[in-house]
Amino acid sequence: MTLLKHELRAYSKTLIIWMMCVGICCFSCLLLFESLEDSMGEMADMFSAMGGFSVALGMDKVNIGTIEGFYATEVALIFALGGGMFAALTGAGILSKEEEGHTADFLYTLPFGRSQIVLWKYAAVCLLCLLFSAGAVLWILFGFACMGEMPPMREFLLYHAAQLLLQIEIGSICFLLSSVCKKRQIGGALGLVLILYFMDVMCRIVPAIEDLKYVTPFYFANASDIFSSGMPGGEMAAVSIFAAAASAALSFCIYKKKDLS
Amino acid sequence: MEEKIKKQAGYAIEIESLTKTYGKKRGVRGISFAVEEGDIFGFLGPNGAGKSTTIRSMLGMLHFSEGQIRLLGMDTKKQQKEILNQVGYMPSEAFLYPSMKVKKVISFAAQARKKDCEKEAARLSRILEVDGEKKISELSLGNRKKVSIICAMQHKPKLLILDEPTSGLDPLMQEAFFGLLLEYNSQGTTIFLSSHVLSEVKKYCRHAAIIRDGRLAGTDTVANLSRTNLRRVRIREKGEEKEFVHDGNIKELLVRLNEMDLEDVLIEEPPLEEVFMHYYE
Repeated sequence: MTLLKHELRAYSKTLIIWMMCVGICCFSCLLLFESLEDSMGEMADMFSAMGGFSVALGMDKVNIGTIEGFYATEVALIFALGGGMFAALTGAGILSKEEEGHTADFLYTLPFGRSQIVLWKYAAVCLLCLLFSAGAVLWILFGFACMGEMPPMREFLLYHAAQLLLQIEIGSICFLLSSVCKKRQIGGALGLVLILYFMDVMCRIVPAIEDLKYVTPFYFANASDIFSSGMPGGEMAAVSIFAAAASAALSFCIYKKKDLS
Repeated sequence: MEEKIKKQAGYAIEIESLTKTYGKKRGVRGISFAVEEGDIFGFLGPNGAGKSTTIRSMLGMLHFSEGQIRLLGMDTKKQQKEILNQVGYMPSEAFLYPSMKVKKVISFAAQARKKDCEKEAARLSRILEVDGEKKISELSLGNRKKVSIICAMQHKPKLLILDEPTSGLDPLMQEAFFGLLLEYNSQGTTIFLSSHVLSEVKKYCRHAAIIRDGRLAGTDTVANLSRTNLRRVRIREKGEEKEFVHDGNIKELLVRLNEMDLEDVLIEEPPLEEVFMHYYE
C-alpha cells in the first residue's frame, strides 16, 4: 500500500492535468452541439453517405444530428485518444523512470522486494486509468446535464467500461516496454496509440485487413458500435484482457531477472 | 561452498567466488572476502575496478553468474527482503525523487521498513542540519547525501553499506558523519565503506579490501596493507636533487645507492596514497 500511495502521489499532477484537459475538451465539444444543432440535420445525411469515411468514423451507424450520435462520433474520439495517450504515458514511465532518474538505487534497496514493487506499480497504472476515466466522465456528464439531456446510461457505461479496458491494455503493453527499457519511451508509447487508432480506422475500410480488429483495442471500444448495437465486441474484448494480462505477466518475469543500474 | 560459509559464524558479509560479467564486458571475477560483525571495513579501488558491481550484487540489484553472497548470515538470492530490512545502503550519487519533500522521502524509507524511526530521523536531521521542508530538487549533492545518510541509518541497521559517502560533504559534515558512524559501530553496526579517500580508510577502517580490474588485489588489516617495502628515496647527486620510488629488496636499494655519487640521501615510507596506488598499478 505504501508503494501504491507513493506512485499515486508521484503521478497526481499528470493525472489531474490529463483528466482536466481531456474532460474539459469533451465538455466543450458537447456544448458545441447546441450551436451546431440547427445545421446538423443536413450534415448528418451528408456525413452518413460518405462511404469509407463514414464507416471509419462510425457515422453510418449513429445519427450525428442527435446528441447521442454527436457524442459517439466526435466527443468519444477525443476521450479515446486522450485516454489511450494517458495510459501509454503512465505505463511507459512507471518502471523505467527509476533507472532513468537513478532512483533505482534508493527504491530497490528498500525492503519491499522486487516482485512487490512491480506488482504495486502495475496496480498504480490500472488505478490511475480508472481515476482518469472517472474524472473525465464526470466532466462529460456535466456537459450532458448542461445540454439538458442525458445519454442512454447502459450504452454510456458500457462504452466507458470498454474504454477503461482499452486504457489498461495500452497501459500494460507500455508497462512491458518500460520493463525492458532503461529510459522512458514516451515517443514510442504515443506512437503506439496512434498506430492502434489508425489500425482501427483502416481495418473498418479495407476488408483485406479486417482481422486487425483483434489487434487494436480501439475496435471493440468504438462508441458508434456500442451506442448502435448496445454491446462491445466480446471476442475482441477477451483478446484485449488476454493481451493486458500477458503483458503484465511478461513484464513481471523480465523485471525479476533484470540487472538494475 | 555453502558448507564452508556456514562454518564462518560471526561474519556480516561473506562473499565467495563472486563472478559477474556484462556480456563480453568485464565485471568482477572470483571475488572472495569476509567482513567480521562489528568491523569497519574499507573497500578500495580505482574507478571501474568493480566496487559498485560488488555492492550491487550484494544488494540484489545485479544477478551474478557465479558465487555466493551472504549478508548477516542470509543468502542474498533467497532472503533479499529480510536482508534489506536489516541493511542500510547509501548510494554514491544519492539520487532521490526530486518532487518530494525531504521529510516525505525519509518517512517513505521508514515506512518501507514498517518501523517508527521518527525520533532517530529527527536526531540525525539535527546533527546533519537537514531541513525536512525543502524539496529534493532544491538540494545540492552534499545535502542530498545527508538525506541519503538519514534514510540509510534511521532504522539503526545491523549492516551499513556506504558507497563514496563523503564526496560532496564539507569537512565539518564529514566529521559529524564519521562521528555518527563510530557511534553506530560502537552499538554493533558493521560498516562497509567503499571509498576513494585513503586517509578516511586509514583513519576509520580496521580492515580493507582492494579491488583492481575486477579482481581482488588484497584484503587484510589496514595496518598490514600499508606495510610494504615501497620506499620513497630523495637524493642529492652532483648538486642536483632527485627523487624515486623503490619497490623491492632493501639490500638492492643500498647497492644501488652505493653506486651513486651521493651528497645526501633520505629514505622514507611513502604516504598511504602511494602505497595503495602501488596495489592499483
